[in-house]
Amino acid sequence: MEVETKPVEDSVPKINNEVAVGEDLEFQRVWWKVERAIWIFFLLLIIADVLGAFGRGWLAKAHRISSDKSLDITYERIERFNTPSILRINLSPAIVHDGKALLWVSDSLLKGLGNQRVVPQPETSAIGQNGILYTFPVTGPTMTVEFGLTPSSAGTQELSFQSPGFEKTKLKIFVMP
Amino acid sequence: MAGALRGIFGYCFLVLMVRIAGRRPGKQMAPFEFVLIFFMGGLTLTPMVGDDQSLTNALITITAIALTHFVIAWLKQVSPTFGRVVDGTPLVLLSKGQWQIDTMRRMRIQDDDIMSMARDQGLKSLEEIDYAILERNGEISIIPSKKSGN
Repeated sequence: MEVETKPVEDSVPKINNEVAVGEDLEFQRVWWKVERAIWIFFLLLIIADVLGAFGRGWLAKAHRISSDKSLDITYERIERFNTPSILRINLSPAIVHDGKALLWVSDSLLKGLGNQRVVPQPETSAIGQNGILYTFPVTGPTMTVEFGLTPSSAGTQELSFQSPGFEKTKLKIFVMP
Repeated sequence: MAGALRGIFGYCFLVLMVRIAGRRPGKQMAPFEFVLIFFMGGLTLTPMVGDDQSLTNALITITAIALTHFVIAWLKQVSPTFGRVVDGTPLVLLSKGQWQIDTMRRMRIQDDDIMSMARDQGLKSLEEIDYAILERNGEISIIPSKKSGN
């Protein structure tokens, strides 16, 4: 079998006509410009992250009060995949009846945002209407419910809360991959 | 599928980061640069594996990385421009008694780094060097002057 060969060509550019180096300063100068642009981009990326643009920071924190002031929600508008966070809801005294408060949450709280726990422990929870209806016992003048989230999928999640007979509050939470 | 995609993304991202962070591996690697390599590697590992700790995920991810490596090596072979982007080109740092100041500054290389390589070849002073070249793999090649006797 014939072995394929080809003659050696002195194709590598030389410096001072004596050492074959193959330096390409023209390309390298373009690359240095690209490199500088990338470093600036990295710097902006880190600043954005420190501020919380990618979650777990000042920009990610959000607060929403329902139009009828029945729910006061503190949450993170930007979450991170598989990373725990707390969504806190202060319930208005107006929604408490017979020492109990009812709160309906859409099922995206469980499916996309991976709700792991509810504090305080609800007395009952009933599945229906694309969500869960919790009944909480109210002992004091104010009532705060906390949901421990650990998002299980990336992307935008739409989330709704409502106390029966009151306005529905919708939130959008973006989960970073 | 996610494991394979994460592996390919992680590999390409690390190639870019190492390329951007500077071409000073191998013999030019100072202790603080070891920190860079190990830290980057360690931090990449967890999100690459994700919550799937199965043998299947590990095998698929390793295979995807090997395939990506092969494709990049093949692209370097068929496209010299792609090769330059991934590896850069050799750069002259010292030529006939003249430091190439701009190149050294941009590549973050000091005359001490060059003298260190020269000593490695048994040279005693910078005057005994004709050319110092930063190679694509990060090594500095030293070509001694004729009067050095090497």
